[in-house]
Amino acid sequence: MSDLTLTNITKSFGKVEVLRGIDLTIRSGEFVSLLGASGCGKTTLLRIVAGLEGVSSGRVEIAGTDVTGLPPEKRDIAMMFQSYALLPHMSVAENVRFPLRMRRVGTRDEQDAKVRAALETVQLTHLADRAPRQLSGGQQQRVALARAIVSNPKVLLLDEPLSNLDARLREEMQVELIEIHRRIGLTTLFVTHDQDEALSLSDRVVLMNAGAIEQQAPPREIYDAPATAYASSFLGAANLVPARIADGKAQLADGQELAVAPGSPDGNVTLALRQENVDFLDGGGLAAKVITRVYMGSRHRYILDLAGQTISVLAPASVMLEPGSLARIGIAPDRIRILPG
Amino acid sequence: MVRAVPGWLRIAAVVFVMLAAIFMLAPLVVVMGVSVSESQFVAFPPQGFTFRWYGNALGSPAYLGAFWLSLTLAVLVTVSATLIGGAAAIGLSRGRRPGGPAETFFLSPLVLPSIIFAIGLLMLWSAVFGATSFYALWLAHTVVAIPYVIRTTLAVLAERDPFLEEAARTMGATRLKRLWFVTLPQCRPGLLAGAFFAFNISFDEAVLSLFLRNPNLTTLPVQIYGQLEFSPDPTVAAVSTLMILITVALMLILERMLGLTRFASG
Repeated sequence: MSDLTLTNITKSFGKVEVLRGIDLTIRSGEFVSLLGASGCGKTTLLRIVAGLEGVSSGRVEIAGTDVTGLPPEKRDIAMMFQSYALLPHMSVAENVRFPLRMRRVGTRDEQDAKVRAALETVQLTHLADRAPRQLSGGQQQRVALARAIVSNPKVLLLDEPLSNLDARLREEMQVELIEIHRRIGLTTLFVTHDQDEALSLSDRVVLMNAGAIEQQAPPREIYDAPATAYASSFLGAANLVPARIADGKAQLADGQELAVAPGSPDGNVTLALRQENVDFLDGGGLAAKVITRVYMGSRHRYILDLAGQTISVLAPASVMLEPGSLARIGIAPDRIRILPG
Repeated sequence: MVRAVPGWLRIAAVVFVMLAAIFMLAPLVVVMGVSVSESQFVAFPPQGFTFRWYGNALGSPAYLGAFWLSLTLAVLVTVSATLIGGAAAIGLSRGRRPGGPAETFFLSPLVLPSIIFAIGLLMLWSAVFGATSFYALWLAHTVVAIPYVIRTTLAVLAERDPFLEEAARTMGATRLKRLWFVTLPQCRPGLLAGAFFAFNISFDEAVLSLFLRNPNLTTLPVQIYGQLEFSPDPTVAAVSTLMILITVALMLILERMLGLTRFASG
């Protein structure tokens, strides 16, 4: 079993508290994303798991063994860096062999076989003898991936590995990462600030905010049922509108009312409205003033003023409203997420 | 838009560059010319053509002795300066602040007038060890050669990916293995260029060698200087030409191996 357990990890740089009590368990073979804005502590947490950074307090266990005090070279991990960190003076094959050589895994022939298998996995066998600088960014990235998986580490750590690729290549690599993970099933911890990446790749998304875990859940759950205002605004850019609920209806600041799901608790709340869940109506519903219209090819994005709140709404390209006019909008009661306060 | 450079300015620039090149190369041409002159004296323009002075130089025990001393010294200085300078550069590149006091200290021989260093070392050596020896020269040349090795090595280390070493750690490389497999290969071009400079500095050094010489310890530049002072015949020019050729050959080899030009252009 190669599960990873973090117990009450804290980390301070001088007086700055970067991590404040992180508890996280990753099951063997699970793909977990650490998602968060820059400065939330996700990279520091990854580096702590790698051993590149020490903890101020807390415990790191890999496969049931306490590795908190061990340097990276003594931990059975592999890490893929944002810059790929390929050794420039070694060929592709030598780079991939490097972890096997350093850890003295098997004979030369066995190493050769493993290097070949890893290069096959990332479809780079034909470039084995090239120097890293002769490869494109995407190819270098595959070499880095091959090098990370070749030693079959207990935990695979990925530090924003896709962020240096252009959009199309990034999507290709996402699909490839999913397939490779399904095939070899390494316990994987993936750091990203890109919610799409986190949602599409992981078994579980861990959303971090200001050095703490805000929410952790499978992608669909964290997207559809964010537990906090921060979670709902970070994932899918939800619009947050304050309201007061009474008798199954939410009253907005300007007095307009809309129906919410039955059984919603009365009191002051925040409504989280996904931009893709707002419908434009011919009449009825809520009145909102059009501020800006943005043409996006397949659809329009409208910036609306709803009861004094600026909200962003996606509409089919056929919906044409002029700035300054009044839009009628509606939201299905079961699409409204009600957050406390 | 970048404005076009006016024609007269281009021509002026070309002329300036050519003048500079002539200014730097003219002395070499004079020396080479004199070395094949039939005249008994160091005089330019050369008269006639002969290789006599080369035969003279290669048959002279004084010159040959001086040449072997300079060569041995330069090789040993290359080794010691490269080892010390390389280690210092690796250490300095890890410092928090580039250009800190330690770096200034190691580079200080570049700015300290070598005549002051020569006088100081001569007095110190005499007080502690007595007569100067080969080791005094070795030490003196090593000290002035070290900054060149540090500069070239720091230059290549400044361009490296700072994550390489961390990546090596995550791949199981211990400290010594990281030094051998990651850091030293990265330093290689800098160390080779530094070694080349160190060799040339030592082979060509005159001030320190002059102060630290004794009758059994005369390097080639000091020998040339002495000859020029007391019996100036074109043998001196022949020896100088040979020195130029050795240096050029070394430079060509190094340029082939790693492209020295990138250090010249800072």
